[in-house]
Amino acid sequence: MSDPQDSAVRPILAAHRISKSFGEIPVLFSIDFDVRPGEVHAIIGENGAGKSTLIKILSGIEQPTSGTIEYDGQTVTLPPNGQAEAMGIVLIHQELNLAEDLTVADSIFLGRELKRYGFLQSGEMRRRAAEILDTLHVHVDPDARIRSLSIADKQMVEIAKAISRDARVLIMDEPTAVLSVGETQTLFDQIRRLTARGVAVVFISHKLDEIMQLAQRVTVLRDGQLIATVGTEALTPDSIAQMMVGRELSNLYPPKHEPDVDAPVVLSVRHLSAPGVHDISFDLRKGEILGFAGLIGSGRTAIAEAVVGLARRSEGEVELEGKPVNFTRVAQSVDAGIAYMTKDRKGKGLLLNMGLRPNLTLLTLKRHLRMGFLDSASEERALERSVRRFDIRARDASVAVGRLSGGNQQKLMLGKTMESEPDIIIMDEPTRGIDVGTKQQIYHIIAALAAEGKSIILISSELQEVIGLSHRVAVIRTGRLAGVLEGAEIAEEEIMRYAAGIKQGGHNERISA
Amino acid sequence: MKLIKTLLAATVLAGALGGAAIAQDKVTIGVSVPAADHGWTGGVNYFAQQTIDRLSKVYPDATFVFASAADAPKQIADIEDMVSTRNIDALVILPGDPDAMTSAIKQVKDAGKFVTVVDRQLSIDGVEDLYVAGDNPGLGTNTANYFKEAMPDGGNIVVLRGLPIPIDQQRVDAFMAGIEGTNIKVLDDEFANWNRDDGFKVMQDFLTRFPDIKGVWAQDDDTAVGAIEAIKQAGREDEMFIVGGAGMQQMIQRVADGDKLMPVDVSYNPAMISTAIELTTAHAVGGVPVSGRYILESTLITQENASEFLDEESPF
Amino acid sequence: MSVSAPEVPAKPARGMRIDFKTVGPLLALVLLVLLGISLNENFLSYNNITNVLARSSFIGIIAIGATFVITAGGLDLSVGSMAAVVAGVMIIVMNALIPSMGVSVGVVLIGMLAGLAVGGAAGIGNGLMVTRGRIEAFIVTLGTMGIFRSLVTFLADGGTLSLNFNVADLYRPVYYNGILGVPWPIIVFALVAIGGEIVMRRTAFGRYCAAIGSSEQVSRYSSINVDNVRLITYIVQGILVGVAVLLYVPRLGSASSTTGVLWELEAIAAVIIGGTTLKGGYGRIWGTVVGVIILGLIGNILNLQSFISPYLNGAFQGVIIILAVLLQRGRRAA
Repeated sequence: MSDPQDSAVRPILAAHRISKSFGEIPVLFSIDFDVRPGEVHAIIGENGAGKSTLIKILSGIEQPTSGTIEYDGQTVTLPPNGQAEAMGIVLIHQELNLAEDLTVADSIFLGRELKRYGFLQSGEMRRRAAEILDTLHVHVDPDARIRSLSIADKQMVEIAKAISRDARVLIMDEPTAVLSVGETQTLFDQIRRLTARGVAVVFISHKLDEIMQLAQRVTVLRDGQLIATVGTEALTPDSIAQMMVGRELSNLYPPKHEPDVDAPVVLSVRHLSAPGVHDISFDLRKGEILGFAGLIGSGRTAIAEAVVGLARRSEGEVELEGKPVNFTRVAQSVDAGIAYMTKDRKGKGLLLNMGLRPNLTLLTLKRHLRMGFLDSASEERALERSVRRFDIRARDASVAVGRLSGGNQQKLMLGKTMESEPDIIIMDEPTRGIDVGTKQQIYHIIAALAAEGKSIILISSELQEVIGLSHRVAVIRTGRLAGVLEGAEIAEEEIMRYAAGIKQGGHNERISA
Repeated sequence: MKLIKTLLAATVLAGALGGAAIAQDKVTIGVSVPAADHGWTGGVNYFAQQTIDRLSKVYPDATFVFASAADAPKQIADIEDMVSTRNIDALVILPGDPDAMTSAIKQVKDAGKFVTVVDRQLSIDGVEDLYVAGDNPGLGTNTANYFKEAMPDGGNIVVLRGLPIPIDQQRVDAFMAGIEGTNIKVLDDEFANWNRDDGFKVMQDFLTRFPDIKGVWAQDDDTAVGAIEAIKQAGREDEMFIVGGAGMQQMIQRVADGDKLMPVDVSYNPAMISTAIELTTAHAVGGVPVSGRYILESTLITQENASEFLDEESPF
Repeated sequence: MSVSAPEVPAKPARGMRIDFKTVGPLLALVLLVLLGISLNENFLSYNNITNVLARSSFIGIIAIGATFVITAGGLDLSVGSMAAVVAGVMIIVMNALIPSMGVSVGVVLIGMLAGLAVGGAAGIGNGLMVTRGRIEAFIVTLGTMGIFRSLVTFLADGGTLSLNFNVADLYRPVYYNGILGVPWPIIVFALVAIGGEIVMRRTAFGRYCAAIGSSEQVSRYSSINVDNVRLITYIVQGILVGVAVLLYVPRLGSASSTTGVLWELEAIAAVIIGGTTLKGGYGRIWGTVVGVIILGLIGNILNLQSFISPYLNGAFQGVIIILAVLLQRGRRAA
């Protein structure tokens, strides 16, 4: 519990013996936490460990059941509903809280618009927004609609918004979950600039290497308990992971089984072009895990959507077990044994207001018909099967899936995809925003599926994941295939070289290895 | 089909207008009425067009501009257009909502046009040159007189009112005044909106509620059609009689046939629009001096005089 | 391996918890019935109950169609005008057939078929414009609402279309008679409601409606043919308008430009009172049935008493509607 750097500096925001219960259920037990000006203090823990509740209390959105909050040396009761922003405590949610149809400038000044005689001063707001964006080195047009921005840019807008409010404490809930490596670095540069100006940053992440890189101190939570608050220099990623899980976390990635070079090609794509996809060719073998690496927005998702019929292809051929196919609707690809699992589980994957059962069977509802009517017993059996197979945890099956943790949502979506009993599964960011424990479960499931003879395309922005699981890695850059790596070539630096455009082509002869 | 006729009339009008621009002594008369949203306004539209067709032949120098509007704003826009683009000399208007339209009509008057208001009184006096209307209090009084005569010993009746607008109030007030002092007891009154479906529903519920009803005043013939079906359904057509109003052909036929359930009707003739157009045209073309108020009497239609009111052509 | 979280393995729970969302509309209905009983001794009489249910059946049948449309995230404002057109066409068709076929059951049957066909065709039109034309449902059906309304005015020549008196006599029992004292409109309403409930709960189509209303994207990614399902909801709506009119025409034997005015709002109100969400994603037919009966009873109760001034009828109606929806919120905020 020491901070060798400058423990003399008084914390700007501190929580003393904070406890919180929701009804009968305690979620936080007597937590001490503080953050000092100019410091990045990371909070880490598995899903359900109490991280989100803690930051909600720190930003006033939830009130603690017991314990006190001290801000700037004073014991305070933080006002609810984000009004703590006015005091300089700004929370940036994981699901960015931006109105999609407002402009960047409007968003930055939302709720504190500049007015003269009751009328908005749009010009002035635009000018100041541009100024703030400039100081952040962010190249975003203040007049652009939020909808048109990339997720990374949206996050920058959130940060600009925080700065415009003179934030003294900036709390970020998993800001890097959806960012690529490059974007993450830009964000970190930004955070360092802010801390240099004396802003205190509280940072939640599942990515241990990032925390090692950015934070001065780390607080580890497990089951609502404070495990430790430690300076990062005294830690290794392994020791953090161990504290999180409370046990030795070996074998994050299951052992790779040797790919069978004689296995038949099950999916063959030739010269595929579609919106955002240019002349892509690759083969997928039975029992193979083919990684798709690349920067966010490089066109990996577009390739998957063109293959399964979610997007119209403009050119090229797709062959499934030697037979040419051209899917125009998802139903056709599902029937043919290819399933695509979206990365956007909230927007495209799950019906958040419905329970587990209708979500699980939605893709394959026709299989649960008996004489034209839904057979709820059959659906129930499917749910029981999936809950067991994928270890889906929920209070009960009727709870709206929007209220499940990210990990359980992901496992449910995996269950839903596997309900169609596909031979080929395209998984798009299957571990985005979920905790280490669940990630490990999913890695083992993926490996087991491949061992069973299923073929998998794994799209991921986490290089470690692609490297740890894939037999071969295709690197995509601006909608084109930059290169295909296999065996010993599959390494972080090599992938980045292709992804960033430093290295190109080269292995084309192995595309159809 | 009447639409064809309308189109023809419009073509004739357009042709006549072309001529009107050349000859100086020709006159243009605007006619604005509410859209045919129930039977009675349907009659107004019919008689207005019929009169325009007829007068166009009688007075070759007269041109008519006809418009039918679904609501007050549309009707105001219509008369503004008539003044500004068609340069009318006189306006005949049946205002759908007289209160909402008073100032717009006053502007027409202030522009020096001859204004005839039909059926519904404006909210300030002295705007119109000529006022042509049915006798709303008279309708109530006539009906009351019939009830007194038919029920000399008194008894229970129910009242199905129209829409909550002044005309309805005038009729009901006059009716209540008419039966005052008799043993006729109004059990209750509810709005049936001069509409068949509502007449059916309100009457059904009155029948449920009151075991003893001797008479029904439906005020309007459309309402009466619905009420009659409800009475028949309850099998109580021998217990009571019903009096409508306005003089719908179907109802006059019943009266003429001696229907016990529907012994009389009270006229409130949509043809009043014809009178208004005729008077206005006579003034505008021939300089016949007309002004003041023309109240068309409301007549009790009985089996004896019903034949005078039957008109094969009328759609109403 | 275990994930330490206050969550336990999902146990499929069958038992339905009684909550306000479910009980709300029923509670409002019970309150209304009690009010009715206290106001008038005839309220619960056989005649009054059959009267109210029979005349609610048109809106009820239409509202069941609207439940599907709304659950799938759509909206149909044209149903009232559509009903008027269907009624108009049926009357014209039947009147036109009399010279060749005489006054016969055949004439009535062909008239009924024509009604269903016109309703279905109108539904196809709405549905195609929404799904293939990619126009907002609100705009499409606002447009067709106006088109149908003027069409009926045109057909009726600005007045009223009346069914030939003799055919009307033949057709009349379809509204006024029934089996075992239950009038036909109530029987048909009940059958449509039961059918609707089964389709909503127990078929893939019902599930797809809820899925699409909940998220169009998720549905598309889950291999649902979103456009077709939506189109079908509009066709079902059109055909049910046709069914409702089959029962409406024999009541008064006439159609005019005032036929079906504001039915669309009554139908939508019934759907929402019943607990279906206006923005889609969740629908329940039995709720709609309760909503329709609530609306029918409000009118009935207003006519059965004389201490609320008829000028305030609209206010009373508004209060009950808001109350019915408010009861569904229950004490969730506690």
